[in-house]
Amino acid sequence: MQTQPQSSRTFRTTDEVDFVVIGSGPAGASMARELTRKGFDVLVLEQGRAFAPAEMEHDELGAFITERWSNSSQSQPQTFRTNEQETAQRRQFVGYAKAVGGTSFHFTGNYWRFRPIDFNEFSVRGGVPGAALADWQISYEDLEPYYSAVEWAIGVSGEVSSVAGEPRHSRPYPLPPLNVTGPGVLLAKGCETLGWTHKAAPMAILSREYNGRQPCHNCGFCLGFPCEWGAKSGANYTMIPEALRSGRCELRTECTVFRIETNAAGRATGVLYFDGNKVQVRQRAKAVILCANGAESPRLLLLSANAQHPNGLANSSGMVGKHFMFNGAALTRAEFEHEVNGHRGPVVSRITHHPYELSESLGFVGGGGFDFRFDVPAMLMALSLPATEPQWGRAFKQRLRSWYNQSLLCYAHTTSLPVEGNSVSLDPELTDAWGLPALRTTFREHEHDLRMYAWFQQRGRELLDAAGAIRMHDDPINADPGFTVHLLGTCRMGNDAATSVVDKFHRAHDVPNLFIVDGSSFVTSGRGQPTLTIQALAFRAADHIAQFAKSNQI
Amino acid sequence: MTLSRREFLTGVGAIGAVWLTGAVSCREKIAPDTHSHAADSSAVDAPSALVHFAPEDAADVEAIASRIFPTDETPGAREAGVVFFIDRSMTTFAAEQAGFFAEGLRDLNASVAESHPGVSRFAGLTNEQQDAMLRSIEDSEFFGAVRFATIAGMFALPKYGGNKDFIGWKLVGQESVLEYAAPFGWYDHPDNQRALLGRVLT
Repeated sequence: MQTQPQSSRTFRTTDEVDFVVIGSGPAGASMARELTRKGFDVLVLEQGRAFAPAEMEHDELGAFITERWSNSSQSQPQTFRTNEQETAQRRQFVGYAKAVGGTSFHFTGNYWRFRPIDFNEFSVRGGVPGAALADWQISYEDLEPYYSAVEWAIGVSGEVSSVAGEPRHSRPYPLPPLNVTGPGVLLAKGCETLGWTHKAAPMAILSREYNGRQPCHNCGFCLGFPCEWGAKSGANYTMIPEALRSGRCELRTECTVFRIETNAAGRATGVLYFDGNKVQVRQRAKAVILCANGAESPRLLLLSANAQHPNGLANSSGMVGKHFMFNGAALTRAEFEHEVNGHRGPVVSRITHHPYELSESLGFVGGGGFDFRFDVPAMLMALSLPATEPQWGRAFKQRLRSWYNQSLLCYAHTTSLPVEGNSVSLDPELTDAWGLPALRTTFREHEHDLRMYAWFQQRGRELLDAAGAIRMHDDPINADPGFTVHLLGTCRMGNDAATSVVDKFHRAHDVPNLFIVDGSSFVTSGRGQPTLTIQALAFRAADHIAQFAKSNQI
Repeated sequence: MTLSRREFLTGVGAIGAVWLTGAVSCREKIAPDTHSHAADSSAVDAPSALVHFAPEDAADVEAIASRIFPTDETPGAREAGVVFFIDRSMTTFAAEQAGFFAEGLRDLNASVAESHPGVSRFAGLTNEQQDAMLRSIEDSEFFGAVRFATIAGMFALPKYGGNKDFIGWKLVGQESVLEYAAPFGWYDHPDNQRALLGRVLT
């Protein structure tokens, strides 16, 4: 079992630390690792706590029902509405892990790279009415060295595919693919029957021992569960321990940051947070790096409004919180003749990117990919058997066993369009356990995306049929996705300070020593699996921020 | 039960917000799990005493749970000790549901008495009578709540009071182990990969 190091460094609140990083997730941990390696002092503030390996149980109730390691509906209530005219109603819509390592603490570990088209789709394909599609200010080639660096820093298992469309990799993956699973073999079968390409899934899970960490033991409890073996390459097992070992980093947990402070010159001076006892603490810093995720980062900027920044910090454009994106999805469950046993081994082992770029004749801008995977553990599966199946009694019991062992989920991961009206904002009435305005989401899927999801669902059914599925159940596609992770786009990167929040180096247009680095920087959503891109962006940002700091440009 | 599939797939945590969903629409959320956790869940003794329900209420809850997961060739909710899970939940993470459960049991037993003269409790009915009764309330909030709680108690770690000796897990073929070796199932077995794909994927 893996243990976690403690902070070896302690800063005083009156120390003006080089950088205070808000959030210890994939982005914040990457910043801490990179900036400490470059010789800077870094204080990481994390709202969650560290979990000991002994606490990392296969606890489905804790993981999915009682919010043992995720954001809390009790202390962090949210509201939701589908458009700006509605009054938002209480509902948990945004999910993330509340723990050291952020959501990588319990992620599945799908580590897709973006491809060149994900950065320039607007100029290649043109706009879509009702959406704010735009090109990124950086290209795949700008980010490629950082993709490789992240893959090698944390340990990603995979195989660079030779199939058409695969982007350039300057280095191979550091580890060979994980074991192929039943769902992976069936995906391969479906693809080969239809003439589609497929490949080993790149996963942030170790297939071999790496940097002193143990490989995957195939226990099957990935999605939603922390890894008791330390085989998942989440920030809690990789970048955070590395940063702490540098001797230049302090990790302070259970710190709920509620304000980034600025002075008359418009510069950030530090942050205010509540510690674990809800005592208010002011921490000074030379620069602030906000990595709180695509929902909490914009919320904190809005909470930081002051006389100089009446609409929220870094929000002269009015774009903070706008263009909230996730990744689109189309889901079909299917049953097979023999034991699939997807509950053993990694959740995902093979993927297809065959529909990554689609013909213009379909009328869609965007695309995606598929995996076949284990659906959900026993409790959730029993609660969500298709409505056509018995829901209690002897037959229910029998059918549940069949579903558990002989079914899989066909999962399409797709683009979703940036829409200005889809947003994160502050609820005008509801407050959280710290008395702060609650997170309010306004969201409705773009019609164009709904058509694309339906197209993907149909292709998924064809794949399943080609793989030999004996029964299929589509999950409905709705304009209200119900709940989401993959929190993207809300502090958009751009050259124009009037229409974006950060520049291409993640510096806030309005505040020279404030950097925002996480999924919020995304200009477009990509085809799914954003974590690797978040970390590659962070590595790139750290390179530039270090140069700025060394040349007195912060 | 109208839980969004995406909630299940990607919604770690938010499911708590729909605990007993379809049961109580505009209810408060469950409290975070505050009772102590044993590090090694498998080492916890199964509870044998009730902490919340009166014995006759517990008998009714157990009877309902046992129609949801009946005992047949394989063990069911009774053997898994689901009633102890639900009993404990009424004083911990589902404490806000205690009144709703009590009210539901009262209403159910009122119906029992009305339709089966001489019988005052659901647990006193035959299995067939119990099934018929439950079919008549299948769409009710109360049944939805007990079903949710029964399923949770069947599969939650034994330390929460149910799933005794991992009976629930064994029922579906889930083992309480920390590792597996390939092949995991029929399709990834090398012989079957060769038959399906003409080769073995590595």
